[in-house]
Amino acid sequence: MSSRIMICGNLVWAHEEAKQLFDWSRRYCPYGFSRSRRFSRRTKSGRKVCMELWASTGTTPPQISIGVFDTEIIDALAEMGTVKWIAHNGAGYDQIDVFRCAEKGISVSNTPGAVDDATATTALYLVISCLRNYAWAEQSLRQGTFKSGLHPGRARDVTGRTLGILGLGGIGLRLANLAHAFPMRVVYHSRNKSADAPEWCEYVDSLEGLCRESDVLSLHVPLREETVHLVGEKEIRAMKKGSIIVNTARGKVVDEEAMIRALEDGHLSSVGLDVYPNEPFVNPRLLEFPQNALLPHMGTENQDSQRHMEVRALTNLRDFLRDGQGKDLVPEMRSKL
Amino acid sequence: MLPRVLLCGRFPGEIEYVQDEFKGMFNGIAEVVDLVLISSPQFGPGGPYEGTIALYRRNTSSEVLGKFDAPLIHALADTSMVRWIAQSGGGYDEIDVQACKERGISVSNTPGANEDATATATLYLMLSCLRHFSMAERSLRSGTWKTPYNAAQTHDVTGRTLGILGLGGIESVPDWCEYVSSVEELCKQADILSLHVPLNQSTAGMIGEKEIRTLRRNSVLLNTSRGRIVDQEAMVRALEDGHLSSVGLDVYPDEPRVDPRLLTFPRCTLLPHIGGESAESWRVRELQALGNLRAFVLGGVGQDIVPELKTGIDNSTTL
Repeated sequence: MSSRIMICGNLVWAHEEAKQLFDWSRRYCPYGFSRSRRFSRRTKSGRKVCMELWASTGTTPPQISIGVFDTEIIDALAEMGTVKWIAHNGAGYDQIDVFRCAEKGISVSNTPGAVDDATATTALYLVISCLRNYAWAEQSLRQGTFKSGLHPGRARDVTGRTLGILGLGGIGLRLANLAHAFPMRVVYHSRNKSADAPEWCEYVDSLEGLCRESDVLSLHVPLREETVHLVGEKEIRAMKKGSIIVNTARGKVVDEEAMIRALEDGHLSSVGLDVYPNEPFVNPRLLEFPQNALLPHMGTENQDSQRHMEVRALTNLRDFLRDGQGKDLVPEMRSKL
Repeated sequence: MLPRVLLCGRFPGEIEYVQDEFKGMFNGIAEVVDLVLISSPQFGPGGPYEGTIALYRRNTSSEVLGKFDAPLIHALADTSMVRWIAQSGGGYDEIDVQACKERGISVSNTPGANEDATATATLYLMLSCLRHFSMAERSLRSGTWKTPYNAAQTHDVTGRTLGILGLGGIESVPDWCEYVSSVEELCKQADILSLHVPLNQSTAGMIGEKEIRTLRRNSVLLNTSRGRIVDQEAMVRALEDGHLSSVGLDVYPDEPRVDPRLLTFPRCTLLPHIGGESAESWRVRELQALGNLRAFVLGGVGQDIVPELKTGIDNSTTL
């Protein structure tokens, strides 16, 4: 009995690698987007590059749906009895209800590591932009006012400032190394001290403590129930006046209202964001501050990283088919083994 | 009577960031005067700036005084006691140093004061150009989220080759930083070419059609030095036909004017000559220039004399 692999979406880069990883002609069925009567889901335009692969043993083609893999979808997949692995392309997988998957015997993998460099580079860009007010400067030039209206005193050097990293996983650690090159002083907080932390990377044992120390606070935690609004009014006010928040993680980790209030009264001098609570909607009040650096969620998007991510997801799938287990099983499921 | 030192700014109160230090530096040594009126004859006997032996200037002074070209230098030499010009800033291309050399006026600048800030600006331009961040920010602010953005055309930074033209007066180059023996060879190897040479007769236009076309297609050009080092027409042509995928600029040939054609290439990142400017670098720069001035007043010679005026240096040497 041959296994069938379904790609929900389009492979953009890793066609050669996919051919090498799988016995292409016999196993791969490239289903495109379709509207499934059973699930009544509509394709979301923003999901074109984020694809799901899963292996099914059997001849009945699974129904395809694009969108959030919530309880309804998971249950329907489980009902078919054939889907056993979802290889998600992406580091963040809050779009998949992993607990429901676990209950139904479906494993989930993501692509940690493949996104680290590109996301950390995005965060570095936002750190520099906010400290030096470059977003404002670029706007000023394009409006024809060159540098008049800019205040050089508002621009601060990067070197010597304190960068506070919340969450020292792969991305946070990569950012720490980039920032250390200036050097910035780097401090971090996470639930546990990290064994991989370099000795110049100081641990702070509370989130509030991290906020107090930081000139720039950069967020690198996944979105889970316990991290929603992790950075709120209390944490923001614990930061020094004139501080900066950079968020390349998920919009909902920050209480957006509290953040905007702090911009309005100048407690935060600016914010650098790649993510928002309800993309692609961006709160228009954020646009009122020319010094904010606002990117439209492109943390990992460049051709080099995207290729790495596709290959990683495909490799997880291949490993499941060949060895019964993909390497990047999500953390929530590892404890159950 | 104490000698006079003249601050050539746009307005009184030229020293902005180091006022406390400044007050103490010239007490009992020199009288510090703010330039209010222009024109050199006033330096002469009977004029309001009689007895001035040194000037402090920065490039925005040009808006008031005009550039320190040969006629101005000659007038200073002939009608005043000015024998030192302390430039606040790394670039001193607005001073005709040859004329100064001929007339026995020394010029100092402030090398090093802007290095970190300018290098950071260059890094920012590189990230922005490779990842198309500038275009993406503009798209978001105009309400189109990331629509014009095409990830297929962007690149990671890691692994790319950065070609640096001009490594400054560094004694020890890191061993991972490979030397290339010609500008042409540098252009052949670089994914990103970044310019870090001063503007003088030898470097004006040194990046022209030939050099740009030697870069590979889809390369990126960065300039945080001086606009006139690059042949602008050649650069714009290369943007128009896509040979250069984008440029990251902090400087332009005729600031504050920006060639409007540059604004039509959405992937370019354009800063208004603020690369060296941060609160900290301004402090360092002002202190350094004032220090040079003070050393001259006290001892007849300041530090940071520009390379062209140091004995034995041939000013046509580049890099």
